[in-house]
Amino acid sequence: MKALVVDDSLTIRRIVIKALGMAGIQETAEAGDGLEAINALQKDKFDLVLLDWNMPKMSGIDALKKMRADGFKTPVIMVTTEAEKTRVIEAIKAGANDYLIKPFSPDQLAAKVRNIVGAPAS
Amino acid sequence: MNVQFINPFVEGVDNVFETMLGMKPKRHQLKVSGSLPDDVQCLTSMIGISGEVSGMVALRFPEATALALAGRFLGNELSEIDDSVVDAISELVNMVGGSAKAKFDHDPPLQLGLPTVVAGAKYRVKYPSKSILLEVPYSSDAGDFAMEVTYSPN
Repeated sequence: MKALVVDDSLTIRRIVIKALGMAGIQETAEAGDGLEAINALQKDKFDLVLLDWNMPKMSGIDALKKMRADGFKTPVIMVTTEAEKTRVIEAIKAGANDYLIKPFSPDQLAAKVRNIVGAPAS
Repeated sequence: MNVQFINPFVEGVDNVFETMLGMKPKRHQLKVSGSLPDDVQCLTSMIGISGEVSGMVALRFPEATALALAGRFLGNELSEIDDSVVDAISELVNMVGGSAKAKFDHDPPLQLGLPTVVAGAKYRVKYPSKSILLEVPYSSDAGDFAMEVTYSPN
């Protein structure tokens, strides 16, 4: 199982990767903005995308819309500071599978990941 | 002076530091400015907010505090200011700004910019004269720091 972690912050990518490990996902790739994420999806197959909203070049919400328009069905969890209800609704309508508001604990993210991809094989 | 405006940012610091760093910084008396000495090497991470109200929130850290906080954030000990420290304190102000803007709950939501970091000593971040500036000094296990919030109602 492989996840794509998309955030312009290296710090958040480290924390997300740690949470993915807790959820049993050891194989990850990273992207620093929406454009890099789209490029990565075109080159490789992923089982899950963790996607920030506010990023340079292409925002997470625009990347999500493009992913769905291009036919990518990979589950997406938005991980973002955008906490207003209107933002959550916008993301779900655009095709996000779940939504996690920063700040978050690795446990919270790991639980959401398990909900989507299932518990790690023992 | 509408000090109510600062409350969402204060709650943002509490929330971000507790959730991401497992810390409860001690908040001190609100000031107009100048809680940290001018001659200390500092990093200031700031992020703009725009919409129905516009302004900026900045976190000003002496280097030792920035190193300690970034080390805690990343889970390893850091000894010099590098890109990872800058990134970590950028993300702290990003989350404080995001947390505060959600509390304002404007529709359409306020917009958050991308964080910027300034480093050095003997500098002051200046704001337009019509804007209102408030400063909240903090002390913590990782050292002292300050939050500056400036805003102008549109």
